[in-house]
Amino acid sequence: MDVLALAEGPLLWISLGVFAVGLVTRAALFLVESREKDKIFWQHFKWKWVLATMAKWLVPANRTVAKDPVFCALAYAFHFCLIVAPIWCLPHIIYWETSRLAWSFTALPDGLADWMTLAVLAIAVYLLIRRLSSPDLRYLSTASDYVLLVITALPFLTAYLSVHQSLGTGNLLGDNMQLIHILTGELMLVVVPFTKLSHAVLFFFSRAATAVEFGRREYSI
Amino acid sequence: MEPSTRSKAIMEFLKPRVGARVKSWLEICTKCGQCADTCHFYLAADRDPKMIPAAKVKYLSEIIRRKGEVDDEFIQKAYDCIYHECNMCRRCTQFCPFGINIADMIALTRALLFSQGVCPEALRSAIKNYHETGNQMGVSEEDWLDTLTWCEEEMESEIVGLKIPVDKVGAEIMYTINAREAKFYPQDIQEVAKIMHVAGASWTVPSKRGWDDTNLSMFVGDLKTSRTLVENTFARATELGAKKVAITE
Ligand code: HEM
Ligand code: SF4
Ligand code: SF4
Repeated sequence: MDVLALAEGPLLWISLGVFAVGLVTRAALFLVESREKDKIFWQHFKWKWVLATMAKWLVPANRTVAKDPVFCALAYAFHFCLIVAPIWCLPHIIYWETSRLAWSFTALPDGLADWMTLAVLAIAVYLLIRRLSSPDLRYLSTASDYVLLVITALPFLTAYLSVHQSLGTGNLLGDNMQLIHILTGELMLVVVPFTKLSHAVLFFFSRAATAVEFGRREYSI
Repeated sequence: MEPSTRSKAIMEFLKPRVGARVKSWLEICTKCGQCADTCHFYLAADRDPKMIPAAKVKYLSEIIRRKGEVDDEFIQKAYDCIYHECNMCRRCTQFCPFGINIADMIALTRALLFSQGVCPEALRSAIKNYHETGNQMGVSEEDWLDTLTWCEEEMESEIVGLKIPVDKVGAEIMYTINAREAKFYPQDIQEVAKIMHVAGASWTVPSKRGWDDTNLSMFVGDLKTSRTLVENTFARATELGAKKVAITE
């Protein structure tokens, strides 16, 4: 089996598995542990507050947007493209169609997927510059904050380079860009459950916990 | 290396208290910095990065990471931060995209330090007073009643018929004060008595524990004492059949 087949086959299934099982486990662990140790949260739990906080923070309709509209617009765009582009881009759908699962669904127009990829990259560069140029963020940041930003951006960079063959052929990088893309994508998937990127699910629990506490006290949620 | 007695005690204290919320908060904070300029300490310190709310929980996360193995110098630094750089107002949380509750974690760190005998001296003596007399100033029941009596007597020349009703069963409002008033600002009690009198309110003041409405033990995370204090006030209100408890400004 050559490396590409390995990356496209078993490694992909393993990384998707780690990602999915990992995130579900994080969610389950949160629920189990909070039942035991955060009783106050469950005693006062009301869907009303939880739904209200999601309605404000899943879309840009919150206080932080008013405070820092530029950052928030870019952060929401970043996440939107980050989630939508990989799921609905044509090459990924073709992969599913030809796989054993034979899944098929409508793809984003190629041009749009391209722009979304570029948007993720441009915003990642903005986030990196922002982190490096602000004394506050430099003070707060640890190595992992930089590394994870790079790990998040790499699959998008390599996707673009691979689709457009930007590095040409006949050189090591250019010839293997698809492989590099697959490997970096898998790297991103496997780190999510074990790092701050686990916020992909913990976001919902953290927001819910605070909404329950603040809702009860009639604070802004 | 064997864990020290202190680190064992620290971890024992933290174990039941560091739940899913705190763990997630410490992990998912993405260091986006949105909380920085929402904190009055940060703004008042000319945007000193160490005053960023997200930076202030590093003591808690360090203690957890080091499994409680921290020295006196570290504890002192943590103390300076959690008592002098955050008043647990919760404003930063209202701007954090994840709703990370910094104040909760500062409160937990204060409680942890208190469990290790570290807290501001003034609060320590207030807590001692709460235990001995039920009020933060250590005013005895005799002195309390005495204060109410002379407050009333002094006002009689000003407003005829003015009374400070003590332990009046069936009054609508049970009025409570900050014990500092009994000791240093009795005129505040008199002002309220005048208002109640002129407004024709049905009110009373309890003689027993529960008349001090301050809860300073809360600030060190001594929740046991905090609870007792609130229970005292509710017990008095129930005994007297009061419908409302009013607290001093
Ligand atoms: C696997 C999916 C995800 C990845 C790889 C990811 C990646 C990232 C990265 C790298 C940052 C830090 C940006 C910086 O350096 O400033 C970030 C921040 C953030 N993410 Fe995600 N994220 C994912 C899913 C989600 C989801 C599902 C949500 C919420 C529904 C979310 C909410 C946030 C929020 C609120 C922030 C903080 C503000 C910001 O910087 O945008 N993320 N995410
Ligand atoms: S706003 Fe929230 S996520 Fe951002 S740095 Fe502050 S505490 Fe961390
Ligand atoms: S809770 Fe503490 S850190 Fe947050 S804004 Fe208030 S004082 Fe600042």
